[in-house]
Amino acid sequence: MKLRSSSYFLLVCFMLFASSCSQSSTPVFKRYRTIFKIGDQQEWAAKDLSDQHWKNELALIPDGQVFWSRTPIDILKAPEALKPYGLRLEAYGEYEVFWDGVLIGKNGNPGQEADSPPEGELWITFSIPTHLTNEGEHVMALRLSNYYYPDHVGNYGLRIDDYHDLLTDRLIQNSYMHVFAGAFLIASIYFLFLFLGNKKEYLTLIFSISCLLFFGLTMTHFVRTTIPIHYSLHVIRLEVITSLMFGISFLIPLYFSMQFPYPKWKLFLGIYTAVLMFIFSIEHHLFDLTILNMTLSLLLFSLCIAAFGVYKKAKGALLVLLTLLLCIFIRHYVSLNISLFTGFSLILLNMLYLLSLRIKEQRLAYENSLVQSTRLRLELLKKNIQPHFLMNTLTSLIDWIEETPKKGVLFIEALAKEFDLLNQIENQTLIPISQEIALCRVHLEIMEYRKELNYTWEEDGIDSERKIPPGILHTLLENGITHSLPLKDNCVKFKLLFESNGDYDCYTFLTYAEIVKQASGQRQEGTGLKYIKARLTESYHDQWELTSEPAHHGWKNVIKIYR
Amino acid sequence: MNILIVEDELRIAKRIERMTRDIFGSTLQSLKHINTLHEALHHIENSELDLVLLDLNLNGDNGFELLTKAVSGSFHTIVISAYKNQAITAFEHGVLDFVPKPFNQNRLAQAFKRATAKEKVENSKIRFLGIKKKGRMQLVPIEDIIYIKGAGVYTELFLTDGRKELHDKSLEKLEQLLSYSFERMHKSYLVKMSEIREINVSSGSKYMAELKNGESIPIGRTKYKDIKAKWL
Repeated sequence: MKLRSSSYFLLVCFMLFASSCSQSSTPVFKRYRTIFKIGDQQEWAAKDLSDQHWKNELALIPDGQVFWSRTPIDILKAPEALKPYGLRLEAYGEYEVFWDGVLIGKNGNPGQEADSPPEGELWITFSIPTHLTNEGEHVMALRLSNYYYPDHVGNYGLRIDDYHDLLTDRLIQNSYMHVFAGAFLIASIYFLFLFLGNKKEYLTLIFSISCLLFFGLTMTHFVRTTIPIHYSLHVIRLEVITSLMFGISFLIPLYFSMQFPYPKWKLFLGIYTAVLMFIFSIEHHLFDLTILNMTLSLLLFSLCIAAFGVYKKAKGALLVLLTLLLCIFIRHYVSLNISLFTGFSLILLNMLYLLSLRIKEQRLAYENSLVQSTRLRLELLKKNIQPHFLMNTLTSLIDWIEETPKKGVLFIEALAKEFDLLNQIENQTLIPISQEIALCRVHLEIMEYRKELNYTWEEDGIDSERKIPPGILHTLLENGITHSLPLKDNCVKFKLLFESNGDYDCYTFLTYAEIVKQASGQRQEGTGLKYIKARLTESYHDQWELTSEPAHHGWKNVIKIYR
Repeated sequence: MNILIVEDELRIAKRIERMTRDIFGSTLQSLKHINTLHEALHHIENSELDLVLLDLNLNGDNGFELLTKAVSGSFHTIVISAYKNQAITAFEHGVLDFVPKPFNQNRLAQAFKRATAKEKVENSKIRFLGIKKKGRMQLVPIEDIIYIKGAGVYTELFLTDGRKELHDKSLEKLEQLLSYSFERMHKSYLVKMSEIREINVSSGSKYMAELKNGESIPIGRTKYKDIKAKWL
């Protein structure tokens, strides 16, 4: 419960964090349509140029030619004294910026791109002289060349605000996001180590990789302020982001499928992968669309899995379902970027929660198995100090000593041998079959003295090197002795057969005797059979089979151990 | 004495048999050994027995099944078992004695003495009397019994809820088992002392015990002094 409430707390924190990111003050400017013209004339920078014949868009500018763009801008509110406005641009190309005809900044070397190395940044901030930002109309003119993406002209990202704020707000946001990314990096490393410690736990590995991909996604997305990126590298960055998204979109439903198993999950995941590939390949150049579609299919498929989990009453499934619905809700109310990061963090938190539930379960199961193991050891010990065995044996022993002391001594020797053998196997989980057979033989010797019957033991095909859990044949033998009456010649015969093929080892234990009919009509599963089953489970998990049934000659037990 | 030994270990059965013969000598009329529960039940139903020597674990069957049937019979039951921890349960069901294994002749003789001697035994542990009802066994709690009336070789149990049940044991045998709270007031009555409200002398020197439920039970002339002293 404590864990669950803390995960809710984290959810709330992320919600607050997301909402604080989406805050923005009222804009101080208004931009109008940008117009373009190919050519290079210094006068085109002028504020009052007559530009009716400029074009609304340019399709292609080959060979890195220089072209100009002009964007009319209204300043709605003049800046305060000593607080100049800044201009943040996101534009493809290397360019010079003119504000009302005045050159206020330079980003690379327009016109010389083909000859000089890439220079300048995709996101850059310039300061605008204060005397040029009074309320009213202004013109921003750019002198550009776009050598690397000649068909990518237009639609620049543009923001005017307090210069100082423009420089710092992204840094602040980025510092948060780097801390955030760091947390997922640590989680990724931690769970990778956990996986290396237990290589069967694929869930831990999937979670670790998901965290690492999410770390990569955050870093690639927010790295732009700290590391300058030339516009020629922009598509590579988007490719990286989309690929990371692809990985995450695949891993999350895979993770949920393993947490909440459902029939034919491999087929379902196969279909999902095909859908992802399809989304990834169509309209690949529209990165935002691809990312959005992948996210939506991720949410949809995960929702189906979680809904099935809820239907099957799987632990934690309801929380996952609610989180996914919350993600869809968030997606509707905030921008793609913010919903992406909030949504993923929520989902990853959920995965972490499920993982912790699982780790807890495993710990309990492990503790249980320790207890079980100890219990089985005790059970084995108890078998031979339980009053029914001990007191009856002692009673017979006294009688033998009173009647024929020499035989009594032999009886004591057999008894000592059985205890000695039991001592040797008592704390082991597997012993050689030869040891177990020795135990059975000496037990028969004791029972001969007690019951005065002829017990015979036969074996066939035994591979003495094979190992089995201690005491299981011994238990079958005891059951056989207890429930049988001798045949006409005062004899009870036991026979152990061993067969092995590619799939399994098979022990057949036969009792040749007259079987006592149980007064209660049906034979209930006694402690003996329970002991055998527990021992088999301890050593072979569910890779075994035990049948115990009457046969025409007496009783037949078959133990199959699958490979 | 007609004795049945129910024991699935031949060596032990032989030992019991040998010792029983030694102890009873010529007074022994018959002695039989059976090693399965099923046969034992069959034998008990079809024979006149005085004493059953019973092992509680028979070829994996729980001897208690036999115990409930055995203690309802007209004979006494002595349990000979390795399970000492079941002694109390056995006594609660109304066995005469519990001989733990391993045992010797002295201990067996002591148990037999209880069965043969007419004197009372101290068994304050008995909590039930088993009765046969429509082929099934039913356990009647001792605290529900007000008094017991002898009826030939059987007895009638008079219960607090007004019911009357038939029991196979004779009044003498029940007296042996129930001596700690019941008193023999008359040759055909065994009464729980705590149920007596008053002791009256009616005309013709007849002594009567008036019970809490309003019934009156006669008190034997020879018993009166004794009863009066105990009741006071």
